[in-house]
Amino acid sequence: MAGSTDLADADPRGDHTDPGSRQAFTITSRPGPSHADPSGSDGGVRGSDADTDPGRRPAAGARIGPRVLLALVALVRNPGLAGSILVIGVVLAWAVVPGWFSHQNPLQGVTAQRLQAPSSRHLFGTDHLGRDLYARMVHGAALSLEATVVAVLVAVLAGAVVGTVAGYLQGWIDTALMRVMDVLLAIPGLLLALAVVSAIGFGVIHVAIAVGVVSVASYARVMRAQVLVVREVGYVEAARGGGARGARILLTHVIPNAAGPLLALAALDVGTVLLTVSALSFLGFGAEPPTPEWGALVASGEPYLYAAWWLTTFPGLTVAAVVLSTNRIARALETDSHH
Amino acid sequence: MSRPVRRRPRTGAALAAVVTAAVVVLAACSSGHARSQSVGGSAAGPSRQGGTLRYALFYSPTCLDPQQAGEGPDLGVVESLTAQNPNTGAVVASLAASWEVRGDATSFTFHLRPNVTFSDGSALTSTVVAQNLNAIRRLGATASHAGAYLAALTSVDTPDPRTVTITFNRPNAQFLQATATPALAIESAASLARPAGERCAGKIVGTGPFVVDSYTPNQQIVIKRRAGYAWAPSSAGHQGPARLDQVRIAIVTNETTRTGSLLSHQFDVISNVTPQDEPRVRAGGFSVLSRTDPGVVLSLWPNEKRPTLANRDIRVAISRAIDRQDIIATLYTPQYKPATSVLSSTTPGYTDLGRDLARDPASARALLDAAGWKPGPDGIRVRGGQRLTLDVIFGLPRSLELIQQQLHAVGVDLRLRQLSISELQAQFAAGNYDFFLGNSARADPDVLRTLFAGFTITGASADPLTAALNGQAASVDTAVRNRDAAIAQRLLVTDAHDIPITELAEVVAASDKVHDLRFNANASLNFYDAWLS
Repeated sequence: MAGSTDLADADPRGDHTDPGSRQAFTITSRPGPSHADPSGSDGGVRGSDADTDPGRRPAAGARIGPRVLLALVALVRNPGLAGSILVIGVVLAWAVVPGWFSHQNPLQGVTAQRLQAPSSRHLFGTDHLGRDLYARMVHGAALSLEATVVAVLVAVLAGAVVGTVAGYLQGWIDTALMRVMDVLLAIPGLLLALAVVSAIGFGVIHVAIAVGVVSVASYARVMRAQVLVVREVGYVEAARGGGARGARILLTHVIPNAAGPLLALAALDVGTVLLTVSALSFLGFGAEPPTPEWGALVASGEPYLYAAWWLTTFPGLTVAAVVLSTNRIARALETDSHH
Repeated sequence: MSRPVRRRPRTGAALAAVVTAAVVVLAACSSGHARSQSVGGSAAGPSRQGGTLRYALFYSPTCLDPQQAGEGPDLGVVESLTAQNPNTGAVVASLAASWEVRGDATSFTFHLRPNVTFSDGSALTSTVVAQNLNAIRRLGATASHAGAYLAALTSVDTPDPRTVTITFNRPNAQFLQATATPALAIESAASLARPAGERCAGKIVGTGPFVVDSYTPNQQIVIKRRAGYAWAPSSAGHQGPARLDQVRIAIVTNETTRTGSLLSHQFDVISNVTPQDEPRVRAGGFSVLSRTDPGVVLSLWPNEKRPTLANRDIRVAISRAIDRQDIIATLYTPQYKPATSVLSSTTPGYTDLGRDLARDPASARALLDAAGWKPGPDGIRVRGGQRLTLDVIFGLPRSLELIQQQLHAVGVDLRLRQLSISELQAQFAAGNYDFFLGNSARADPDVLRTLFAGFTITGASADPLTAALNGQAASVDTAVRNRDAAIAQRLLVTDAHDIPITELAEVVAASDKVHDLRFNANASLNFYDAWLS
């Protein structure tokens, strides 16, 4: 696996000031080096490591050739991960340049060609209005992925703020914030998201915000735990001793070093979030017709479950494949960080 | 009793009901004409008594009391003064054995049938009928359908226990048909004394062949046969008590589930079979029967208070851009019919305007060009920097995506705004829309007057139209009523005050065990004659 090759040339516990795990988002073959450990249980050890090295960066780039080679070898040895990366790559490409993948109009159908089974002309078949389902899948990718990213960003940012405030200030603010988070955790996620989206209105971005808000609690908890650990370690105390003020310590020392597990959690969460966004879209809270969106495509195919199996099968399989792939990749990042 | 499609929206207070009704109807919007009135029948041999019919209803009724605004299935619990023959549209005797109508249609005298009792044992008298009419008027906005029929009521007189005279302060020709509707059903005095909410929850007592046994909202309605029932209207298939012991009406809103449950014999009859499931149901050996809803067809109602749609040419262009045949061919089965007038073909007074509703994209484009809307870079027309974007509000979106495609072809951008029922009502009342997708079912041309006279719905005004609508309301002569109704339909279509789309229908599927299942004139399913072999 790619991760193990990294270990040869980079101290996995190096570079605590660089939130390297952000690379999890870009999903390259080189996973983030160090912080993909959501448990954070070894924070103390990490702290002692980190004491000595804020600011140190590995000499990346010097050995890029062998690294890529090693990564490729690792991928060949792990077809599951390679397949997952391929799936995500293709779907990202759909989102960025849909025109390269489908030349058919996703919005205007030819009614004479309605409900046609998959064929070489219509790869995924056509829907009840004669629109090419593959074209709608390709053009729907951008919206579905955008919603997922927005939801994760909302969750991570809001969770980071809440967790940092709670963990750094402590006292009654900590108690109050974390009890609110406990309440959020007590309500089933999809139900709460439904309530939120009902309150703020329909639309894909609203759905994304709702899903993000619902996921805040777990991020806040992880962030708080990290902040509690990091604020006690030597280099933070050193900075404080050196005269740095609260905000500066927080921004330059505490947050960067506590953010790693949060980002690892985000990587793991992408799949779940995509599933929740699609579910809400399926329930009709998402895209306005005729805009294609994966969850909405499943919903519009549902009445034709018997007459046209492809209308639900292909969007469903695509969502499933993307969710499984993101999970596989996130797991690779996680095991990587354990090595 | 009513099904969701049976809405008779009135202006003003009834707007909310219009919206609600229209939302529900769209769910039922599968269609088909009166191809068959019943399944089974004499060919299956003599009818058999007894048994429980299991029926899957596609929506959850908001209220079981037909006098109130709520939609509900025909439970056969209450009956009205008259009944309407579903085949001929003729008004026939029911609780009233006979009646007289004054020549100017302002006064109606009903002679009640003797020896009729409510299921609580009390007798049907003229006093109870008068109490019912007064109670309906007291319901106010809640009884929007019924209230519209009684709008000009001045007095209800009961000269003897079996005679009721109802007088209006202006001609009200539609009233006779109105007495056949469930909205003017007659309930017992004890039933009327209950709070409206309790009656909605199924505590209704009538004279009908069934009584409510139990009702669990959103789940199930059970009705049981009433022994001793002996006053079925002549339009019914038999006399005496109902043949079924019991009807279990389960509420199954998911169409795929309904079809699957029918095919696996968990139900004997299901409502609202979707066009895409129809072939499966037929292939499984089940019979499909359908009846076109009477009244105003599924239509786009333009908001003529909006400047763009105040222009007749724009409305006409949009009507001509719609390919009604393509909608039927794409989304329905061949037995379904496109709209050929504002009224559906099963409505008394219907006139065929199919030629005016033919697709003509070239003339649509010419009209839009002449109005100054020129095609923009993305194909959507623009004028003075403004795009020709119009929105439509609706509850359930049948066929709208296709209309959206068709309008796009002539450069009109149609935005679909699907709303919840409460939001739909609010947006409609606030006039915050360009088009409203709706229909209004009633087996009388007066439905046009309740919708379009005064144009509370759309905000337009047209004197010849108002004259024609009032004309059909003022005469008891069918020929005069039909003539005026035809004039009104023509004016509504040529000026596109209403853009008709498709005729809606009730389509049900039944197993071969079920016989003599019929539709009422309002296209609701009637269990009275049905029996199981």
